[in-house]
Amino acid sequence: MRIAHYLNQFFGGIGAEEYAGNSLEIRDGAIGPGRLLESALGNDAHVAVTFVCGDNYAVEHEDELTAAVLAKLRSANVDLFVAGPCFDAGRYGAAAGALCRAVQQQLKIPVVTAMSEENPGVDLYRDALYIIDSGTSIAKLREVIFKMAALSNKLLADSPIGSPHEEGYFRRGWLRDQLVEQKAAIRLVDMLLAKMNGKPFESEMPATAFAPVPLPAAVQDLSKAKVMLITDGGLVPKGNPDRIEGTAATRWGSYSIAERDDLHGEEYEVSHGGYDTRFVQEDPNRLVPVDAMREMERRGVIGKLHDEFLSTCGRSNPLSNTRRLGREMAAKVKQSGVDAVILTST
Amino acid sequence: MQLTLANHPITDLQFGAPAHLNGTVLTIDKNIVRRVILEDQAFAAVEFELVHPGEPCRAGPIFDVIEPRAKAEGCGVDFPGILGAASTAGLGTTHVLSGAAVSVLAEISPDLTRSATGRILEMSGAPARASDYANLHHLLIIPRTQSGLSRQAIEKAYRLAGLRVAVALAQTARDHTPESVTHFDVVGPGETGREGLPRVAYVGQIFSRQRKPEVDEPILYGANTDGMLPVVLHPDEWLDGAIVPSLHSWFGGTETYFYQNHPVILDLYRRHHAREINFVGTIATIAGADNFDRERHCQAAANLVKWNLRAEGAVLSKYGGGLPHADLAETARLLETMGIRTAVMVSDVSRDRRVESALLFNVSAVDAIVYNGGNGMRWELPRLDRVIAATPQFFNLLSGPMTIDAPNVIGVTNQQGASRMRSLVY
Repeated sequence: MRIAHYLNQFFGGIGAEEYAGNSLEIRDGAIGPGRLLESALGNDAHVAVTFVCGDNYAVEHEDELTAAVLAKLRSANVDLFVAGPCFDAGRYGAAAGALCRAVQQQLKIPVVTAMSEENPGVDLYRDALYIIDSGTSIAKLREVIFKMAALSNKLLADSPIGSPHEEGYFRRGWLRDQLVEQKAAIRLVDMLLAKMNGKPFESEMPATAFAPVPLPAAVQDLSKAKVMLITDGGLVPKGNPDRIEGTAATRWGSYSIAERDDLHGEEYEVSHGGYDTRFVQEDPNRLVPVDAMREMERRGVIGKLHDEFLSTCGRSNPLSNTRRLGREMAAKVKQSGVDAVILTST
Repeated sequence: MQLTLANHPITDLQFGAPAHLNGTVLTIDKNIVRRVILEDQAFAAVEFELVHPGEPCRAGPIFDVIEPRAKAEGCGVDFPGILGAASTAGLGTTHVLSGAAVSVLAEISPDLTRSATGRILEMSGAPARASDYANLHHLLIIPRTQSGLSRQAIEKAYRLAGLRVAVALAQTARDHTPESVTHFDVVGPGETGREGLPRVAYVGQIFSRQRKPEVDEPILYGANTDGMLPVVLHPDEWLDGAIVPSLHSWFGGTETYFYQNHPVILDLYRRHHAREINFVGTIATIAGADNFDRERHCQAAANLVKWNLRAEGAVLSKYGGGLPHADLAETARLLETMGIRTAVMVSDVSRDRRVESALLFNVSAVDAIVYNGGNGMRWELPRLDRVIAATPQFFNLLSGPMTIDAPNVIGVTNQQGASRMRSLVY
């Protein structure tokens, strides 16, 4: 098995911070931690090439560095790329993460790195990579290298990777389906009894917190404001011209209501599989209240109802997708020059 | 209340006449089961097939899977409120043809926004290893309903047909001595002799008002749950036919077989028998359609757990889509506030396989969560010679080769505890 290894100037044996500006050197064979890596990986493991680069050079010339490493690796015929361990060295971690991600994407070979939790490389690359938690102490180098080697061997053999806790990597934030021994019912009762008895238990899903969305300033004078209606309840014109999916929608649409005082069920349909749509089908104003808004427009409560409404389907939609939909719709809102939006959901 | 299950293990099903049980082999008289079904004028015709574990065979979409069970003479009504008077379920002896199932095929796709195939029964290969249903011998009911019926009328007819045939099959065993008998220990908030053991309750949603139930949709003792508040049920009522799934069984997806073998209730019973816990009872509830609905249900359920069952801990499960997660978490939060420890079980909602998309609530007291999986698993299915479907369209669709998502193989995923498919965080 042939390995490529990336080290900074310090672990590469060139020197400390005063050599951080050194450019990339490519050497044959293992250097420093690479020798330990060879023995940790097992019998036939051989570091074929070691990249050594100064930390400043690496972050200031990320593109050149990446290109040079990829170019060398394309001809080096290696099975595995290892970077670090970087401990809490931030520039080293950022460079190691960037290189690992590039190698993984371009060359489709396993990559492993290691950093401490404080290293900014962790947050930048944890979703893309297996990053072993190295802690901050260089005295633990041997232990860290053995964890990196164990994970590398599993990746190379394509064997199942254990939990972050078992393997020692930072939680990447992904889910993987697996058949387990025990049915959910048994795990559920086990978890309750552990909790009741004050014993440790591990929830199968960590809570996710989101940054609060700051409230915008109040509309100064509603009677002069242009108001737009947006719904995630899936109301679309008959025929669903934008083919908005009834579940996990990837699209949204913008539909004219100019000249309309009222919405009629025969002109619309509902693309949404997550609620009882019959009542909206019967009277779409129940979801997109054009009738009530026109009334307010007439009475001068609002200045004007914007002449399009936006619609998508909010059912079972993952955040990676809804963020994009939200950004696109917000851009449309801005471009339409509206002062306020009423969001209706189901 | 005390239920006794008289177990008759089944190792083979065959067609023949007369219907009889010989050891572990059940002979089914097609004419009798056909008559049972065609008594309902909703059906124009019906066919039957038998499928067995390990057989390279595929059938679908499956509307329901039912374990053949029949009450012993004088012990009450099968599926009370649906097939007969709404008398209390869970009393006396029920005969069970364990290892057998009656499965009803559908002529319509259950939910086009989710899957064109519906949920299929796959009797061999990797999907079969992930579904308990692949271990059963199935009598498949292949219905042809009259034209012009509403979807609702068709589904109601499927439900009744499946239940009636399941009962008819099990009645064959009523005069036979069971191979084994399962007695359930007495359970209830006032039972003595278990002082000092943790008092544990189960709170299960049985419907979600994301969809308004049909007027004649049987769910709880034949009632459609409209206007219901949470209700205390004896665990034996769940196991013995008081509850069947909503007619839109894809919505929260479970089968009648699930309730008959409710894994949470059976596990609580197991620990009750082992004197690990004091199983004090269950609450059946529904997920609300709006905030008023939600508060009413969550508060009433929590209050019953606290004041009626006097539980110290509760396990909770959901039914339906995304919205019921909120009701589940709110009920657990209220219980925790009352000093009752909770663990909850949710279904997999992460379609991008990211942890951040996995939970629909963030309540610090709700910190013990079991996560069912399935959205990230799919299989390549081979072309099979034996494919059973109720329409030519489904026959073509299911013939294979095809790729199928795990939730579309019946029995692989389940929101309420019957599945071994788990999403692991990495």
